[in-house]
Amino acid sequence: MSVSLPVVYTIRGCDACVKLLDKWQAEGMAFEERRVETSQVLMDEARRYGAMVPIVVWPDGRVEQGLEGHISCFII
Amino acid sequence: MPRDTSVVTPERFAEGLTYAEFLAQATVNADKFEHYHRTSPLTADDLAFFAEAVARPDGLAKIMAIAEAWCGDVYRELPTVARIAEASGAELRIFLREQNPDIMDEFLSNEGQSRAIPVVVFYRRDHRYLTHFTERAAVAHQDLADAQAAVTADLQLPAGTKLGTAPQDQRQAFITALIARIEPRLPEWQRAAIQEMRSLLATALKTTEAAAGARVTA
Repeated sequence: MSVSLPVVYTIRGCDACVKLLDKWQAEGMAFEERRVETSQVLMDEARRYGAMVPIVVWPDGRVEQGLEGHISCFII
Repeated sequence: MPRDTSVVTPERFAEGLTYAEFLAQATVNADKFEHYHRTSPLTADDLAFFAEAVARPDGLAKIMAIAEAWCGDVYRELPTVARIAEASGAELRIFLREQNPDIMDEFLSNEGQSRAIPVVVFYRRDHRYLTHFTERAAVAHQDLADAQAAVTADLQLPAGTKLGTAPQDQRQAFITALIARIEPRLPEWQRAAIQEMRSLLATALKTTEAAAGARVTA
């Protein structure tokens, strides 16, 4: 994937997703959010990277799943 | 736990989605709902149990589920609940978690900290609460705990490391290894969920029907 911003796959109501986005917004960080519950295309895309949201795909290709200290959501 | 003051009144229950309506509004996982409905591990004995529960004079009549279509535990278990309702004649209504926070708040788990789904709630004809099942069976929780301990050892992380506490730089490896361990167990989780729902329901029916000499066995 070629991206210039981190892409974060989230689900509405996911505690860890909310916490991560709140943190990034407070830090003024730019990112692209993709809500996986809104389309099968985004759900399938997210599953290629992981099993638990939030899933972050960094511009250098690194992938992170979940958020330390918070309840994340399985999508498989 | 729901009480006499539950927000799920008979009128509210009737506003829930039917299974067909739930599927129609779902934007993801249609293939998975279809697959798990078609391959549900319900046995003839399971179906007879739920049919008997419905046939009782003061027995099971309504099933409420709290769900979201994106959730793996939901698409593995809700189709089975739909099959139970279809075969037994119980009325199934489904409420979306994010659109019904007041209902979700009555069925929180993990000492009130988790909004885990699915929640499957059983009611009598007069809408009295019988019992409810949340998220996944006890054996599944034990599997998860065992798998987390094994992965922690494999990755040489501090003892007691869990999904929520795995350090960020090792979370990817932790989750990948965890999924590899639990995926083969998912069919057993489905069976265990059915057994647990049967057990919960049998106990709830026995509690008030023993005096009438009724018999329900799990």
